[in-house]
This record gives sequence, structure tokens and C-alpha cells, in this order.
Amino acid sequence: MQYVLQAFQTALEPYNILVMILATGAGLLMGMLPGLSATMAIALLTGLTYNFPTQTALIALIGVYVGAISGGCQSAILINIPGTPASAATALDGHPIAKRGEGGLGIFLATTASMCGTLISVIFVLSFTPVLTKFALKFASWEFFLIAIFGILICGQLTSNGNAVKGWISGILGLIVSMVGLDVVDTFPRFSYGNVNLMGGIQLIPVMIGLFGFPEIVKAFKRGNNSDAAPMSSFNMKKGWALVKEHWWPIIRSGIIGVCVGIIPGVGEDVGGWLSYWTSKNTSKDPDSFGKGNELGVISAETGNNSCIGGAIIPVLSLAVPGSAPAAVLLAAFYMHGYRPGPLLMSETPDFIYRVGIYLALAAIVMWALALVISRVSVRILSLDKRILMPIIYVLCVIGSYLINYNLFDVKVMFVFGLVGIALSNFEFPASPFLLGVILGSMADQNLRRGLRLSKGSLLPMLQRPICIVFLVVNILMILSQTGIFKPLMAKLRKTK
Amino acid sequence: MKRILTLVLALVLVASLSVCAFADYPDKAINLIVPYGPGGTTDLTARAIANGMSNFLDVTINVNNVAGAGGSVGTLQVENGKNDGYTILANGMLALTTMPVNGYSEKTYRDWDIWLATYAPNAIVVPANSPYQTIVDLVEDMKARPGEVTFGTAGIGSGGHFGAETMKAIAGADYSHITYAGGGPAVTGILAGEVDVCPQLLAETKDLIIAGDLRCLAVLSEDDIEIAEGVVCPSITKYYPEEAAAYVPMGEVTGIAVPKGLDESILAKLDEAFAYAAVQPEVADFCNLKSFTLMPMTREESQTFLDSFTSKACYLLWDAEACANDPADFGIER
Repeated sequence: MQYVLQAFQTALEPYNILVMILATGAGLLMGMLPGLSATMAIALLTGLTYNFPTQTALIALIGVYVGAISGGCQSAILINIPGTPASAATALDGHPIAKRGEGGLGIFLATTASMCGTLISVIFVLSFTPVLTKFALKFASWEFFLIAIFGILICGQLTSNGNAVKGWISGILGLIVSMVGLDVVDTFPRFSYGNVNLMGGIQLIPVMIGLFGFPEIVKAFKRGNNSDAAPMSSFNMKKGWALVKEHWWPIIRSGIIGVCVGIIPGVGEDVGGWLSYWTSKNTSKDPDSFGKGNELGVISAETGNNSCIGGAIIPVLSLAVPGSAPAAVLLAAFYMHGYRPGPLLMSETPDFIYRVGIYLALAAIVMWALALVISRVSVRILSLDKRILMPIIYVLCVIGSYLINYNLFDVKVMFVFGLVGIALSNFEFPASPFLLGVILGSMADQNLRRGLRLSKGSLLPMLQRPICIVFLVVNILMILSQTGIFKPLMAKLRKTK
Repeated sequence: MKRILTLVLALVLVASLSVCAFADYPDKAINLIVPYGPGGTTDLTARAIANGMSNFLDVTINVNNVAGAGGSVGTLQVENGKNDGYTILANGMLALTTMPVNGYSEKTYRDWDIWLATYAPNAIVVPANSPYQTIVDLVEDMKARPGEVTFGTAGIGSGGHFGAETMKAIAGADYSHITYAGGGPAVTGILAGEVDVCPQLLAETKDLIIAGDLRCLAVLSEDDIEIAEGVVCPSITKYYPEEAAAYVPMGEVTGIAVPKGLDESILAKLDEAFAYAAVQPEVADFCNLKSFTLMPMTREESQTFLDSFTSKACYLLWDAEACANDPADFGIER
């Protein structure tokens, strides 16, 4: 308890408050801009805060992390281009809400849900870290493989308006793209044709910018699409709070799902949003309204991706093994400031875990306030003429791609996938499963092959591990539900009910 | 004629430019390229040293992480970029010296000016509940079941792979190589009990050994290493002095590098800055935390050190049939 008080004391020093506000604000802005990801925001700040006092640096880093993951929702909702891969699920319902003229409401819901998600995850960090660490270690190669497949299956099913096969085709295309480059298992260059840049693999962020950005840009200039500005109705905070209150249970549920996803090393914010969205849709009484501007969709997705933050920090603290890419950078920053996350943390610096928890919680609250202030200005983007707005976005897309690795090759990748994105959107294939395929492809590939190598080619271990069986059954059911045999069966089942 | 004239003109221009550049190097920010993602040991070492060099040279040093292809993308970016002393590389030498045999580059370590900073040994670790109590148990089992004992590493050409190959050479029996996407996942793999042995760097498993979750059978350094009070990791030479002699010390050596061809005045500045940075207390603290040995070397010392190091690393890969090109083609002798 005294540690909690100490942490509050440090955080409430005026200098630290200022740092937290600045860092969280910077995180929000970076999250909003497509191409500037949470990972990059933390990496940048790690360099900048090298010479800061330790606690101040911690506050800055945690602030920028929370801000960047949460900021992505604004661009997802307002212009249908997710600011970070994590907010791709938010765009699904968020953008229709904004189109309806309720952009302010959408952002309020997303932001509030983000805050709730982070706060829920803090509770888990502070109370269940040892238990959850054990849970994380239950996941080995086979489980990772099945989770990756599961992620792509649900994403495909969610985004394709009833025709899941189309979503899955898109997902598989993404999987194929992720095969490019040196493979993890044997370091064999695949589809790289002797090109060093291709050998390094296709970077995620340029793919995302191309896939989501280009179709929006092109759409703005299509003939007959001159309905310049979306209508705007003023937003009433009371309505927002009422909605949040009404959906208290999905928020908690999504929070728990997010924490669990966050803990599993290698699966991060991107999957957390999709999984909680899927759960909310499947348990909803009116699943058809999802994707058309259902508020619950936005709330679930944002709670889910933000609660991954706490989840991902848990293995960082207890094992020094990060649960997601931004958490990996955070781990490095902890080391640099003389902390030693891992099994010795509790005996060497017992106050650290409480400090991280408190800073996370405060950052969530600061983020909430700042995001609402920013949204006052940012919703006006909706009333801008798209033909003026989009060229600006286009420039940001190019800069964002370049900044990932300071490599012009990534800009070319962005162009290629921009064309792919336009093709996909013209033929009404969803882009999100493609993105998730690229994110999870390497995970599916390497874990399947590692599992097979460990078992000397036998698939049997998959049936001997309890977690595997659960995922296997769910995966098979999901695929079967789209085939001819299963549909009449389901209809019959519903009737007998 | 015209061509020659253009050439001469270009040369004069370049010369005049470089004269300006030499005047008082450095007069602008330096980019330090780390060819791995942020947070790895190379990255952390680089940042600690960059901070000291930046203070000495009185310019900003931006650390850029250009990850990809096992460190090749970032390294090639420096190798092919403008060599003016404003773009420098920080890399692990296992990756840098094996680039030619892996077919990533035509250039060997001799084409670089290198300043080595730290040495990090491999540690052969097993889970706390493993049947292997000593390194002898492990070696005997490898001999009894060749190709069956699973070693989890961060991939082909990673520090762990060299550790595993060293064990193979000592036991005279093969192992089953299970590769992960990086050091972190490999450590998770051994904690989850998915593989039998993890031969990654000591720095990566140190805290888990102290906490008792993992047991260290041996370190591939010449001497025992005490990682915490009463927790001593025995050197492999204790058990296999003859067999190990050719391979020890094995582990990752990290330093900074620039392609050869820089003006001597710039190199001299970098010499001084590096020597200054390497003795800063924060670098020593960091090395202590990670159980690295701080062994700053000058350019000449580094080349001599790398002669034997490169030979060891390249021939371990070549003998394991894990690389594309014969080291002999690049003048690397056994």
C-alpha cells in the first residue's frame, strides 16, 4: 500500500504531471497519424528520455504507450483509416457512426472504452501477475499456430458481410504475403529473388497504410461522389455516458479477453480488438447491426485493444519476455533506466510493479481527457472537403511509410499494397483479414513447423493438449458453419429450440 | 575526353566537399544504425555507448533501428550508404562476420573499421525440473541419442545456434535444432518445457537462473562466472578442457563499425570518442547488469581478435552445413 501512495506522490509532482500530459498527447497524435505506430512512438521516446530522471522517463514512456494505442481510433472512426493496426476493428463500426454524423459520439465511446480497458488491465497487473504468468507459459507452438488461424478466421467472418469465404480469401492472401523474406525456422530466403529488402520481409505498417489509405483517397476523387461533408449533429455527453453504462458487462468482458490476449507472447493489441469484437457480436441479440454503426462494436474493440496494454506488460514484468511489439520496446527502456524486469523484480524493486500500475491508470485518465479535447477539433475533419483532405493524408501516408525504417523500399511497398487495397475494395473483399494475415502469418507458419519438428512430423500432440483441442474445435466449427452441410443443421437446431 | 573532364570535375568537387567535411568532424548529428529491433542486447549496448560518444563529440547521435533479415538490411544500408562518418553501424560480430558466407554481402570484416566493446558468453541452460544435473549428463545423453536432444535457439546464425554447434562439437553427436523468432521466444520455449536445452547468451537467461526457474549447466567462457552471490555458472573448460579448447570463448561480441575508407582524421576522432564512451560508468553498470565482459579494443586489436573469431564462427556454420558459401572463398582460414 505504501508503494501505491509513493507512486501517486511521484506522479503528482507538477513536473511529472506536465511530462505525462505531453507524452500522452504526443502518443495520441502519433497514434492518430497512420504509419506512426505505438512501437515507434515508444522507441522514439526511449531515446529522448535517456537522460531523464528514472521515474519521469517511466511516466513519459507509459503515457506515450497508452496514448498511441488509444489515438488510433480517431482516424479509424473519422476517415476509415486506422491509425495503428490495433484499431482496424474499431473502424468497422466507428466509421459508419461518423458517417451518420455522430463522429463526436463515436470518439467519446472509443476513448471511454479505451480508458476502461486500460484501467481493467491495471487491476490485473496489480493483482494477478504471478497466476497469469503461469497461464502464459501454457502456450507453446501448437497453441500459437491454432490461435493465429483462429484470429484470421474470426476476422474474415466479421468483416465480409455474411460471406465469410471472401474474408478468408483475403486473409489467405495476407498469409501468402507474410511468407516473403527470410523464414524464421531455417532462415531460408523465400520469394525474395536475391533482393535484400525483400529478404527482410514485407513490413506491416506500409501494408496497412496502403491497404486502408489508398482506397479512401481514390474514393474521394471518384466522379459522382461529391457529397462533400458528412452531416454533423452535436454530441451530447449524457448520451455517451448512458451508452457506456448500458454496456458495462461487454466492457468488462472485453477487458478480460484483452488482458488474456495481451499476456500471450507474440499476440498483441491487434488481435485483442478483433477477439472482443467477435465475442460481442456473437453474444449479441442483434448481430446483423454490427458493421453498420453499432456502438457496442466500437466499445468492445477499443476496450479489447487497450486492455492488452496491461496484459502485455505482465510477462514483461514477471519474465522479461514481452507480450507485444510495443511492450518489447518498453522492456528495453526499463533496462536502460536500471530496472530489471523478470523473476527478480519483486525481490529487488518491489515498488516497481505498483509504480507501473499507477502510472498506467493515470495515463489512461489523462489520455481520456486529452482525447476528448482533441476530438473537438478533429471531428471537424469530417466537414472538410475530402478532395482537400485526402491529398494531405496521402502525403502523410508516404512519410509514415518512410519513417518506419528510413528506407525508401517501404514506400514502394506501400504503393504496391495501395493498388492491392483498391482492387480488394472494388471487388468487395475486406482489407482487415488481409492485414491480420500479414500480422499473424509468420506466427502460424513458424509455430506449425516448429511443432512438427518437435513431434517429428506427427500431428498427434495437437490432440493431446487441452487448450489446443478447444481452439481446434472452434476453428473447425467456424469453417463448417460456412459449408452447405452445416447451414441446414443450424437452422434445424434453431427450430427445435 | 569529355568523359574524363567530367570525371576530373566530379573528383575535384568530391575532394573539396570532403575537405570541408574533415575540417571539424563532427559538425552535425550522427546516425547510428542498429540492424535489429529496439530492446535487444545489440540495441541496448549501442545506446549505452552512443550516449557516451555523443557527450564526447558534443553532437547528437540518433540511434535508428533498421531491422530485417538477421541484421543484414541495416548493415547493408551502412555498407552501401554514403561513407562520411555520419552514418555508423552497431552490430553483433556473429552476424557481421558471417555475412559473406551466408551470401548477404561480398565484404568481410576486413572491409570495416571496427571498435569492439563487449563480450557476452553463451550459457547452456535447462529447466529446473530437467533430468540433466550437470553438463556431463547432457553430453552423455547427446551421445546416447544422437539427433534427439532438442536445442531451442533464436534461429540460424544466432548466438544460441553457435552455442548449440559448440555443444555438438564437444559431444561429437548431433542435436535437434528448434528455432524461434528471437531470444525472447526461445527463452519462453525453454520455460514452457517445449525444448530440452537453451544455449542462448547468459544475459538472456541470467535472471531466470538466479530465480531458480532455469539451471545453468555451463557457460562457454574460459572462466566461471558468478552471476549473483552464491550463484556460480561453471565454465565448460572445467569438464571438457581438451574438447572445448578450440571453441571457447564462444558468445556474442558487440561493437561499432564503419566501412573502410574514411579519412584518418575522422577515424582518430571516433577512436577517442569510443575510448571515452567505453569507460563511462553507465556502460560498466549496464555490462554488470547483463553479465557482459567489457573489453573495449582499438581498431587494430579488434581486427586481430576478429581473425580467430571469424574463423571459428564461419567454420562452425560451414561444418554444420548451415551456410551457403565456403569461408575459404573469402580468405578466411580455419
